[in-house]
Amino acid sequence: MSFLNLKADRSKYPQRDADGKMQIDLDSHKFVKLWQGPNHPGVTGNMSVELTLAGDEIVEAKTHVGYLHRGFEKLIERRLFIQGMQTSIRMCVAEPDSNEYVYCTAIEELSNVEIPEMAKWIRTLILEMARLQSLVRVVPGQAGTFGLGLGVQWGVYMRELILDRFEELTGGRVYHMFMTPGGVRGLLPDGFKTRMEENLKEIESFAHRIDDLIFNNVVFKKRAVDTAVIDPSWIDNYGITGFVARSAGFNRDVRKSFPYLIYDQLDFEPKVMEYSDIYNRAKVRWFDILTTVDLIRQIMRKMPEKGDFKAQTPNVLHWTAPKGETYVRSESSRGEYGMYVVTDGTNKPRRVNLRGVSYTHAICVLEDLLVGVNIADVAAVMVSLQTCPPEIER
Amino acid sequence: MSFKDVLIPFKAWGNFFKEPVTLKNPMREAAPRYRGFHKNNVNECIGCGTCESICENEAIVMIPVDSVETKNGDSGLRPMVDYGRCCWCGLCVDVCTTNSLSLSNEYTWVAEDPEEMKYIPGVDKKPWDENEKGWKKPEGNFSYYPLERPHMQELHPEDRDHSFIEIVKGYSDEEALLEADRCVECGICTATCPAHMGIPEYIKAIRNKDVEEGLRIMYETNPLPEICGRICTHKCETVCSLGHRGEPISIRWLKRYIADQVPTSKYAEVLRQDSVEQNGKKVAIVGAGPAGLSAAYYLRQLGYSVTIFEKLIAAGGMMRYGIPEYRLPYDQIDKDVDYILAQGVDIKYNTEIGKDIAFEKLEQDFNAVYVATGLHSGRSTRVPGSDHAMVFQAIDLLRKITLGEPIEVAEKVVVIGGGNVAMDITRSMARLQKIKYGKVNVIATALESEDKMPADREEIVEAREENAVINPGWGPREIVVENNTVKGLKVVRCLSVFDETGRFNPSFDEADTNFFEADMVVESIGQGADLGFIPASYMEKLEKDPRGRIKVDPHTYQSSLEWLFMGGDIIEGPDVIHGVANGHKAAKGIDLLLNK
Amino acid sequence: MNTLIDRLAKLFSISDVVHQRPNLAFVTTPMENTIHLITHLRDRESFSLFVMLSCVDWIEDNQFQLTYVLNNPTEKIDVGIRCFINRDSATMESAHYLWKQVATYQRELKEMYGIDFPGSPRVDESFILEGWDNIPPMRRDFDTKKYSEETFFPRERPQSNDPAQYMKSKLYPDE
Ligand code: SF4
Ligand code: SF4
Ligand code: SF4
Repeated sequence: MSFLNLKADRSKYPQRDADGKMQIDLDSHKFVKLWQGPNHPGVTGNMSVELTLAGDEIVEAKTHVGYLHRGFEKLIERRLFIQGMQTSIRMCVAEPDSNEYVYCTAIEELSNVEIPEMAKWIRTLILEMARLQSLVRVVPGQAGTFGLGLGVQWGVYMRELILDRFEELTGGRVYHMFMTPGGVRGLLPDGFKTRMEENLKEIESFAHRIDDLIFNNVVFKKRAVDTAVIDPSWIDNYGITGFVARSAGFNRDVRKSFPYLIYDQLDFEPKVMEYSDIYNRAKVRWFDILTTVDLIRQIMRKMPEKGDFKAQTPNVLHWTAPKGETYVRSESSRGEYGMYVVTDGTNKPRRVNLRGVSYTHAICVLEDLLVGVNIADVAAVMVSLQTCPPEIER
Repeated sequence: MSFKDVLIPFKAWGNFFKEPVTLKNPMREAAPRYRGFHKNNVNECIGCGTCESICENEAIVMIPVDSVETKNGDSGLRPMVDYGRCCWCGLCVDVCTTNSLSLSNEYTWVAEDPEEMKYIPGVDKKPWDENEKGWKKPEGNFSYYPLERPHMQELHPEDRDHSFIEIVKGYSDEEALLEADRCVECGICTATCPAHMGIPEYIKAIRNKDVEEGLRIMYETNPLPEICGRICTHKCETVCSLGHRGEPISIRWLKRYIADQVPTSKYAEVLRQDSVEQNGKKVAIVGAGPAGLSAAYYLRQLGYSVTIFEKLIAAGGMMRYGIPEYRLPYDQIDKDVDYILAQGVDIKYNTEIGKDIAFEKLEQDFNAVYVATGLHSGRSTRVPGSDHAMVFQAIDLLRKITLGEPIEVAEKVVVIGGGNVAMDITRSMARLQKIKYGKVNVIATALESEDKMPADREEIVEAREENAVINPGWGPREIVVENNTVKGLKVVRCLSVFDETGRFNPSFDEADTNFFEADMVVESIGQGADLGFIPASYMEKLEKDPRGRIKVDPHTYQSSLEWLFMGGDIIEGPDVIHGVANGHKAAKGIDLLLNK
Repeated sequence: MNTLIDRLAKLFSISDVVHQRPNLAFVTTPMENTIHLITHLRDRESFSLFVMLSCVDWIEDNQFQLTYVLNNPTEKIDVGIRCFINRDSATMESAHYLWKQVATYQRELKEMYGIDFPGSPRVDESFILEGWDNIPPMRRDFDTKKYSEETFFPRERPQSNDPAQYMKSKLYPDE
């Protein structure tokens, strides 16, 4: 199949001892230690991987995070419930709305607040818009890791289109802070749906061009196919969720298995593929772009025109929640994004703990997946798992 | 993989012929909802600091502003925003109690010095001050705190119009919690309360389900919480921050709630006041009304021995003898009064100064004297016919009702006056008529037009619910008497009550007349003080103001005679809470005099 | 869900069952039993997915609460297993061999709360904080604000004024 075989047999390095443990002796000059990151381009966000190489092949990888740690979970423990919202969003930069959703929902669940129908629709719309802006940037970004910059620029452009809509709807481009415990902070502005539809058309057309540019590209195929394959046995063992699980044949999607908001009223089937290599992990997300475009259309078509969008909550300055705990999850573009929240009867949460997708994908999965991978493909493997350090070091 | 895969990607060259999508300078305008730089309508802002409380980044501090005066309902402070901290969440806008704060959609500001990016919106002029676009509080009934009060349970008109049972039932635990939850703890109300009660503090105690702490807080400034919790004129509520967008906090009912929750038997234990050191000095108080009682309470706290001289058979003054029982039941007066008296206050009932005891004796026997005798003589309109036997003073009738003495109840009654006392007698007469005749026929008329009537709004509404007629905007001209019986009241249209300078100087339209039929007329246009018990020799020595009223120090209520203090309605008010406040101040003033 | 809890109650000592949602329940079990129970859930009750491990500091009771959230992807239900460990000698049996990612959680808990999981791979390596020289920062008694004020160079915040106090000073200073 391949006319250039880059993969020489290095099976004798590193040698293993009787227990099967790798013997890496840096002084033997057979190995090189190399840090990829924590500068941002070439890795996903500010993290780094400590690589041990034999030649140009990785024999050991260790993920290092800590370049961002801002202690948000700790800060939220000192914030009123309403204030925790604005802090929680910063735990994931690329798709902050999942934070808004899980945080608000956990607080609402623990204080027995029921949000109005309209708020559910708008929240769903926001979550899908967030998914879309994340996917359109990261899918072409996969080709970017192999040196194809054009797709990345298209991706950034498409993302900006959605950010324009976010700006119009929520008043913010990157951090939206539009959900609030009890509902949302407004209705759709006039003409929003028309402008959104125009953007969706544009994105669809770009999606097809991306298909041409990337997925039918000989270089991309050459590098992505059969690289960093995830064995189906890993899925449960490593706690893999989201598109990575779907690319390996597991139909796992929180929107389907634990339908939240109004997902049970929408008609969609998340794409499932059978073989999880870099190519399919990108392709499955390419299908997700189309699904998401369709979902946004469905939402805009089915949602009510008017209605209350926020329940009357207690005075936010004194809001207290009874003692309790819960775990709330949502499906982000990367996988299961959950939050464990504990309240102790005061006006501040006792504990807020985010379960970021990358907590597994960027650490135990990445570390094991990189073994045997060529040094040139490390960034590609990271993007293929859509690793995101802010959700690891909350 | 095929040869096609080599060619297809080159389709991207098609973009070469397309318009670039990049944006050119100048920067595009942001969306109409964009959260950009802050704006504040300084005239609407009241400096409540709620925006500061909500800001999770401590980006707002409240700063005094020269151009804004501190007055009732406005702290004179204005929020200053620090863009070194702000995250543009807009919570401050959404929570603002007056809707004065908003964000413009302007987002570019270049400054050499980062400290410049700290400013008082609306005061420090900025180019975006006039920008109408940007984030505003979301439309509709969006609010971060409930804007409406929980409904207060009351007796229905048909259940109350024939009896003197208390109308307002008071908040349940749940309702009180809901209402206390609404308070934003700004403290704007405290300055307006004449007694400067710790309002946000005792409301907080309700939220913490600690009514005992609430009671302790109230007693720091007001020893009559059961009473004030029912009939206070609640000036504080007129300035409450929440009143700008919704209903003000029901401060009065919350006060009542606290006092209602603590049974009399627990007061001593809750207030923990048994060990006051006695200083052996003696103070006499004339009149057991709110001012006298308040002074007595705080003097006892300071260790003085206190004797009150009360003309009537029970303490309470106007609270007992003026305010009808359906608004303020006697047992509730007793609850407050008895607790004060239980602090070791010596009270002499049925004792009139100048008759039973000479005023001079007070000077001799006591170190200081506090006179708070109140306003108990009704003023007459002096229109023709007002000297008829079927023309009464409201205040006399109310006193007799309390004392259980029989009073005249005619079939048709007209009340002259638009204040709360007029409403009290109107509604009392309506009840007595209902009991006696099975139907109500009482008309209350006032000089002021309805929107300017001094009575509380709910008094007017409830009077009407009880079938009394309120017909304001008329000036009395004559009480028509034929064959020595009262026939009714002739009135003319009153155009305005005050002239341009704000002086009482009513103008009338003589052509527009009316006649209210009546067998009995009650006058309720105000009361005066009767200081006849102070001998002329003292009166001469007392300094007066240009209008002939006795002058007292505004902080200590000390007169020009060092040992003589005066307060209550004869000095300011008239209402209970002013009496409480100046009684407290007089107690401190007396302490200042005797303890120096 | 109820039948599951009943089955578990027969085999393990569990208490404080809270049915938070129809598909989410929390139970408490003594720390000696916890890993045993989790293994049972994984191997016998199809809770094949490990969702997360979290810790709550109940400083007032001198206890840490560890919460293991497990998911059964077939039945679509979650169970949260709580166990309480002593805050002073915070040590817990390691569960790293059950799922790959558990070791990461345990490593973070060691760093952030000071809970030891003997035998867990790389548990002593720093995870997020390099060169940390204070008490584990997620413990309730660690004061973030104080720490940052002492460690960094706080920019001065102008003195704010309390409306009620300020009005008193302006309108009735002597009372
Ligand atoms: S926008 Fe948010 S962060 Fe900024 S001052 Fe207002 S409340 Fe504070
Ligand atoms: S909340 Fe509004 S009214 Fe109150 S101080 Fe802030 S801007 Fe002024
Ligand atoms: S009662 Fe009103 S004015 Fe007073 S502290 Fe509460 S909200 Fe502010």
